[in-house]
Amino acid sequence: MSSDQVATGVINLSEGDSSLANEIKELGGEELMECIQCAKCAAACPMVLAGFPFFNKRIIQAIFLGLRDALLDDSSIWACQSCNRCTEVCPREVNPFEIIQAMRRVAIREFALPTLSIEGLKSLYDTGHAVYLAGAGNTRAKVGLPEKPPSTVANPEALKELQAVIRKTALADLGIIPMDESGVKETCEV
Amino acid sequence: MKVGFFVGCNTAFNRPDLEQAVRYAFPALGIELDNLEGQSCCPSWGTMPSVDVVGWCAVGARNHTIAEEKGLDIVTVCGSCYGSLAESKYKMDTHPEIKAQVNEILKDIGREYKGTSNVRLAFYYLYHELGPDKIKEAVKHKLDGLTVALQPGCHTLWPSKVYYDKEEDPFHPKVLKEMCEALGATVGHYTRLIDCCGMGAMRSTDMEKSLKLVEKKLISMKNEVNPDLIVTGCSSCLIQFDTAQELLRSGKKINFEIPVLHIMQVLALCLGADPERVTGLAKTDVRRVVNRILEGL
Repeated sequence: MSSDQVATGVINLSEGDSSLANEIKELGGEELMECIQCAKCAAACPMVLAGFPFFNKRIIQAIFLGLRDALLDDSSIWACQSCNRCTEVCPREVNPFEIIQAMRRVAIREFALPTLSIEGLKSLYDTGHAVYLAGAGNTRAKVGLPEKPPSTVANPEALKELQAVIRKTALADLGIIPMDESGVKETCEV
Repeated sequence: MKVGFFVGCNTAFNRPDLEQAVRYAFPALGIELDNLEGQSCCPSWGTMPSVDVVGWCAVGARNHTIAEEKGLDIVTVCGSCYGSLAESKYKMDTHPEIKAQVNEILKDIGREYKGTSNVRLAFYYLYHELGPDKIKEAVKHKLDGLTVALQPGCHTLWPSKVYYDKEEDPFHPKVLKEMCEALGATVGHYTRLIDCCGMGAMRSTDMEKSLKLVEKKLISMKNEVNPDLIVTGCSSCLIQFDTAQELLRSGKKINFEIPVLHIMQVLALCLGADPERVTGLAKTDVRRVVNRILEGL
């Protein structure tokens, strides 16, 4: 969106990117065109309550209008809680949550993703956990648990398996995080 | 009876006292827990699900196959794990082409997703498999005289189509309420009962907006219920309610503190667990309410 448009609130339809809707449909948002903009999803959305400029109904509207940059320049799509109230109430089975996820998938293909997502993906690949706290061993011991949970962090073979799976997914093709064989450690203490 | 315990990330690393509560309560109720050795992250929403559908399902499917090989259902206390695993299962079970692509990936590590294990939230599992009456008979301590406010959690309810355990009406949930009432608590209703707590992606993206949601909820609870305790159905809600109150107090948004526990922590206490092990990491001061539970009134 140009600064003039932001200032006036007027959307120039001829500047819209008509390929965006097709991309969304290919990346999991198959039901996009079923949306009738009734806004039932918006009435149920925590992002509306919290005051984000884009939320389910407006994200879908922006996709219809091809406003790719407006969506990529704003952090709203990354604030979606994946709570799925919208999926529950949608009278057209549009699955608005999946469309927001599809918009994230579009953003990732343009490397427009937040640092936290990159870190989460890297941590997932390196340890098997998107959330991983290095000092957790002490906390666990304090309540009488082994320092490592019985997951990939305590099981190097399982971690290798997971990494082999991830290397076969779109994440590897996109090159968002390094995943060289040589960089893989036997045990991961990130 | 035996189930696979999917511990996830936040419970294992942030609130292992909740993990310990599950490890105490299930055997105390006669249900053996399997560790699902080698499990990984579910994966959470901001990672693989935000990259592509097949990759999301493939990482989820690897977890599912660990339970399938043992012929066990999966239980978890984390809303995100519950939601992500149930949704990857739903996608693979209803879309043969997704399942086929996932199994093509899993072939290399000698695994195959079949779809034979269900994903269950710990307290729904206990409610449906044992029922509130059996749980009531098993407990040593009760919540008599305590007033609680509930935080069921978004992922425990929606989208109902992907879940094995369903509420009659997910916008008027009653399972968590009936569990607390069976333990002897008075459950107060408040207007913002089913609102989101703001934890998760919203908190990572915009702390201020996230805190606004939990502030609205806390004020609604305080004014309408004035609870002795907040009981959550989700580990993420537990972390948000437990850590946000101090931030809101220092920002002069609230002037009170309400202790917060997950339903599995409450249940473990009632079954006789060591309070340090199952509630020892709470940031809100839970000692007084824990003592009331353990000593009766």
